[in-house]
Amino acid sequence: MTMAESLPAQNAGERSFGRAAEGDIQRLSFTGSGREYFGIWIVNILLTIITLGIYSAWAKVRRNRYFYGNTILLGRGFEYHASGGQILIGRLIVFAYLVLYNIMLTFVPLVGIGLGVLMLFFVPWLVARGLRFSARVTSYRNVRFDFVGGAGGAFLAFIIGPVLAALTLGILAPLASRWSYRYVGNNLRYGQKPFSTDPPLGRLYRTWVAPAAVLVLGMLIGGFFVFLGVALVNAVAEGAELSSQALQGFTGLLLVLGYLLLFAIFGLAALIYRAGVRNVAWSATSFDGRHRLLSDLSRLRYTWIAVSNLIVTLVTLGLMRPWAAVRMARYVNEHTGVRFEGDVGELLSQIAQEGSAVGAEFMDIEGFDFGF
Amino acid sequence: MASDGTTIASGEWHPPGSSRSVPASLVERAGHLVVDGESGGELAGGNLHSIEISSRVGRIPRRVTFPDGSLFETADNDAVDRFLTGKGRASEGAIHRLERFHPRLIAFVAAAILLGALIYRSALPLLVEVAIAVTPPAVPQIMSASALETMDRTLLDKSKLDEAKRNRIVEGFRRVASQSARGEAGYTLHFRGGGALGPNAFALPDGTLILTDELVELAGEDTEMILGVLAHEIGDVAHKHSLRQIYRAAGITALLMLVAGDIGSGAEDMLVQGGGLLALSYSRSAEAEADRHSVELMMKAGFDPAAIARFFELLETKLDDKGGTSIFSTHPSTPERRKAILDWIGHERK
Repeated sequence: MTMAESLPAQNAGERSFGRAAEGDIQRLSFTGSGREYFGIWIVNILLTIITLGIYSAWAKVRRNRYFYGNTILLGRGFEYHASGGQILIGRLIVFAYLVLYNIMLTFVPLVGIGLGVLMLFFVPWLVARGLRFSARVTSYRNVRFDFVGGAGGAFLAFIIGPVLAALTLGILAPLASRWSYRYVGNNLRYGQKPFSTDPPLGRLYRTWVAPAAVLVLGMLIGGFFVFLGVALVNAVAEGAELSSQALQGFTGLLLVLGYLLLFAIFGLAALIYRAGVRNVAWSATSFDGRHRLLSDLSRLRYTWIAVSNLIVTLVTLGLMRPWAAVRMARYVNEHTGVRFEGDVGELLSQIAQEGSAVGAEFMDIEGFDFGF
Repeated sequence: MASDGTTIASGEWHPPGSSRSVPASLVERAGHLVVDGESGGELAGGNLHSIEISSRVGRIPRRVTFPDGSLFETADNDAVDRFLTGKGRASEGAIHRLERFHPRLIAFVAAAILLGALIYRSALPLLVEVAIAVTPPAVPQIMSASALETMDRTLLDKSKLDEAKRNRIVEGFRRVASQSARGEAGYTLHFRGGGALGPNAFALPDGTLILTDELVELAGEDTEMILGVLAHEIGDVAHKHSLRQIYRAAGITALLMLVAGDIGSGAEDMLVQGGGLLALSYSRSAEAEADRHSVELMMKAGFDPAAIARFFELLETKLDDKGGTSIFSTHPSTPERRKAILDWIGHERK
């Protein structure tokens, strides 16, 4: 028996799906608050310090539960199911491996190098496992996600892709992005139904133009300033009015400034690029072959939020970080949505979970987090 | 509606593994927790021990999972908390109670800052000492060999010193080195053209010392002055300054990664870079330590311990260095150092 459900739509309490304000796009929303997260955040930090880092696994669980649980689609939140113990075990394994690797590297350099090569070989496998873990500990409406990608795809998407992008000075970055989004998007499942994505290369290159221009322009301006600085140092040195120590200090200051400038230019370009690629890739993704996903971040606004978040966090010695994190989550969620075909209520009452996806033990590999 | 039992909260109920949900309420009846549908009838149930109730995080919905795998979800966190408290399970919500927005959080911030500072001030140096103690001698050797290789290829040139001068320096250096804790065999002296480094001397952690022609030139006929500088570098090696600095930087990074938690990726990057600047303040105290070492060694070897102070004097006059200390300088400013050295000589001669 099917039950017609009343799913609260996000705008004006409309109960009929379909002809809503923007066609039938259902946007995500974020219901968390900076104030509420502040408490979770500071307790996480305090307990992590007191327990010498052990609590950090549980801290991650509480943080993710808060952010997932406040990510709302059609009136219902997502849920994060990992346990602190699972994550701690994963972290301990990685930590033990690193310690072993370093000890080996000092005592038996050959074995250490072997371990390093092994690591490189294993990274794709770890990435695939990490993605699978992250997907399987995420659920929406009592049904979990799943990920079926293998190590080969991960190797192409996360090793070959970035290396290729770096070697070609970013010219092939869109290709790398396409690989990684295809790897994740085509292997993601919800219930028994697949997601599929195919971001067109042309569009990825169109969105790549702006960050590339920022990078080139930034480099030119940066180069000009470096040239100016060097000229200044030389002029001063010629005049020999300043002592060598002061000159050294001055040169050091220039170096630090140049470094900051580089950091800023790369950061800006990366942010603009990331937002643009996300828009293209998400908007080229569909669920179950019918329901289209959508992402319409304003690249400028996204970059501004990220940059101002960083500044505010640094100026307040981290105390405004919870506010910043919530602010970003809210913005990203509000510009992400799904365009459902047909009756949403009916669709969402029919999805069933594959039994096999849950219950087994999986390792969480740090650093390969996969959030929606 | 089943009216016996007490209703705890209302919410949505999902059959096992299904996205379908129906409005329902959580009811306690005859020692069991059950879910009643809107039109009556139990949808699921079980005794309290077999039921999993998720811990509270902020205001996100509470999940009650039944033995059959079905799920009841409610936004009424307070009601669930009251029920648990009534069952004597209030302790499960302890973390959430700490997290609530409350003036107490100010104390938490203070405690976190205080404990963080405490770790940085006392635990970090301790960890560095432990790391130094367990480092096998092979490590500094490998590090130094590759560092010398790298510098020879990039910065340094062949030395152009004449044989006589070089021999004078080597002979003096042997006298000084033989007074050191590691003895003469612990150190090897290399002569190089400084190139971009100019007048300079530095030590690698395995006891390899490098002296540039420019520094020898600067000292002119005053060989003792050069020996004073080399004795200072021996001090650097003896106190394992460079290893300590590497371990400190690694320790700071590890602490940031481990303890900082969620501070945003941008801020994390910046802090790790800033850790490098922090290491500089450490290197200033290390320099002072090496200066003292120079004085002691020179005395033992029968040279003038003030030689290194003369070197600083020379720096001041030749290079007109009267600058104060700045954050970017690894070495304490020269006038300060000269004074400290002369004080130390007075102290040693007492």
